[in-house]
Amino acid sequence: MTNTYIRNATWAPTGERFDLRLAPGHSQVVPELGGLTICDAEIRPAGEMSIPARARIIDAEGKLILPALFDLHAKVEIEGRSKRESVTRTGQAAVQGGVWGMLVQPTAGFMFDNSAALDSFREAVGQRSAAEMVPAGCISLGMKGEQQAPYNTLAARGIRILSDAGERPGNLLMLHRAMKYVAELGLTLAIRGDVPSITANTCLHPGTTSYKLGLHGTPACAEEIGIEIIIRLAQDAGCKLHIQTVSTAEGVEIIRRAKAAGSQITAEVALHHLLYTHEDVGDYDTNYKTLPPLRDKADTEALLAGVKDGTIDCIVSDHTPCTDFAKKQDFPSAPQGMCVLDHFLPTLYTRLVKPGKLSWAELVRACCTAPCTIALPDVIDPAEPEGMPLLLFDPEATTEVSEASLPCGTCNTPLLGQILSGSVTLPLQ
Amino acid sequence: MSTPKDLVTIEALSDADIRNILKGAAEMKQVFCSGKTHPALAGKSVLTLFYEPSTRTRSSFELAARRLQADVTTFSVATSSVVKGESVHDTIDTLMSMHMDYIIVRHKNSGIPAVIARHAKAAVVNAGDGAHAHPSQAFLDAFTLQEKYGDLEGKRVVIIGDILHSRVARSTSTILKRLGADVAYMGPGPLVPLQKHTGIPRFTNWDAVFEWKPDVIYLLRVQNERMDTPFFPSGDYHQAFGVTEERLKRIDDLDLSIMHPGPVNRGVELCDNAMEYRNSLICNQVENGVAARMSILSYLSPLTQNHD
Repeated sequence: MTNTYIRNATWAPTGERFDLRLAPGHSQVVPELGGLTICDAEIRPAGEMSIPARARIIDAEGKLILPALFDLHAKVEIEGRSKRESVTRTGQAAVQGGVWGMLVQPTAGFMFDNSAALDSFREAVGQRSAAEMVPAGCISLGMKGEQQAPYNTLAARGIRILSDAGERPGNLLMLHRAMKYVAELGLTLAIRGDVPSITANTCLHPGTTSYKLGLHGTPACAEEIGIEIIIRLAQDAGCKLHIQTVSTAEGVEIIRRAKAAGSQITAEVALHHLLYTHEDVGDYDTNYKTLPPLRDKADTEALLAGVKDGTIDCIVSDHTPCTDFAKKQDFPSAPQGMCVLDHFLPTLYTRLVKPGKLSWAELVRACCTAPCTIALPDVIDPAEPEGMPLLLFDPEATTEVSEASLPCGTCNTPLLGQILSGSVTLPLQ
Repeated sequence: MSTPKDLVTIEALSDADIRNILKGAAEMKQVFCSGKTHPALAGKSVLTLFYEPSTRTRSSFELAARRLQADVTTFSVATSSVVKGESVHDTIDTLMSMHMDYIIVRHKNSGIPAVIARHAKAAVVNAGDGAHAHPSQAFLDAFTLQEKYGDLEGKRVVIIGDILHSRVARSTSTILKRLGADVAYMGPGPLVPLQKHTGIPRFTNWDAVFEWKPDVIYLLRVQNERMDTPFFPSGDYHQAFGVTEERLKRIDDLDLSIMHPGPVNRGVELCDNAMEYRNSLICNQVENGVAARMSILSYLSPLTQNHD
């Protein structure tokens, strides 16, 4: 194994240019208070490093270096595929999209409410996955919202976050007690704001499109009331709360106020809620059916502003592979979810960074340091730093999204047929 | 210029399509009323595929198809096995193998006819899907109003009742606006979508309706079967939103017309006397339903004929 020399690299978060010598297998970035440090590497201003003639050299002129991304919200299970194949394909999709690690939400096939399920999942990941896959434990047994999962057992197996994958337990008493219990264990509960009795049988944001298509609307106020409820419960219980897939402007405002008042909360937005609105559903395009539904333009703007000012900590993929057959059903019957992991970073770059809506520093914070800090609190343990790999991003290259460029093998993405700017080399070693 | 393969929504039709189908309805009405048949669909096969109970619309379509000399097959879908998208896909495959030329479909889920239309070579006629669209009803309503008023430019139609769940409201308001009429909605608050979502004036009481000076009062059926959690207090719908004896008198004084897509809940949308009202167009609507559907079926162009 030899060192790798990278010439004329541009560090994406700051725009600094430097040369880099990476020790084999050890290129990694550690988030620290106030910034990022590249460990086990020698760094010199561009052009000042003496590079041996026979060394392995990557000329990074015109390219960017940044820490690889961490996705705090993804589903790995692919319907109709074995668990092992699901893990393999999702790992490939993640690495292609610039994502080195993800928090895996429990699903029917990966029900992380017992230690055996965690063990077999980790074994499959160890053998099969090109990406880190960190499981989120269930909040309730079988995600049924009725009885608490065995939190001590899960915590002993390394679980740090609990989630019922977007399903908020309907029973608030059970949730409140769960919060009080996990507060003692230092675990974080990840929940979406919702009032299930208001949103039952709905599938689209109430507006011009839901009227035209004759579909029941999911009122924004249900999500906002739900966010208020879980914040109040978590405050009372003293539990760490992560609010999943915020989709409305008022939701952002509620979180902003709560954070200003000192609440221990973090929040995420799914990339599709920054890019699309309910009008994109057009004539029943089920690829745009998501949970929560796509909202108004004003909501996408408020969400982006929330990311920029740090109210919303993370941008997540909410990656949900669905079979072609399932998505070809009528809109009310088709499953919710979009598949964006395969092209996560090129999409972020093309739609947000390139048009100047989001800076590289903000992207790295929202897609890397913040989610890592939430999902892997041990990473930033200063005694034993463990970091994120680096990736090389070529903003001039283009990627065409086709069936062949979707390693996870499902095509429920509105990106199909589009040409995105940028390509990813990960890992960079 | 070829005519469309399917009739799924009014929005998908051109102005010329709408004009031609309405003109055809007048011709077909003469055929129908004289007891004759028309050979437009001779040798063709028509299938009615109703996933939701219906007597009036289904028999109206079947009668229309027979009057056009088509072979009519009724595909029975047990209401108990009401159906997810998967089985609709499977059904489409079956139907394709049966070489049907026309498929007339009704389903409780919005968007099902569009799914079938995309995959079938047969002409697909939407006979009502969820709260989305009911275009043949729109044609028979427009045709009925044209018979009564001639040009609909500037005529005012208020549609009253459960707009939220009503495919009739969506399709009929669309065609009437395309023909130059003004449309307003009135009903209980939770059942009338906001004007900013519909582009249609929204009222919630009769005083506002009379103030708007409508020509036609179009009452929708209260669809209790579509309401999971109650949308309005039971018991006072008639008093608040129905045509009571008192309101009927005012409607009579103003010489307004009354329409209803049927079946009527007597004592809910309409008082008994309103059923006999001199300007009621309800029976005309039923009669014109067959003519409008004959015109629709004869206008569409299934792709099956090219693949025989």
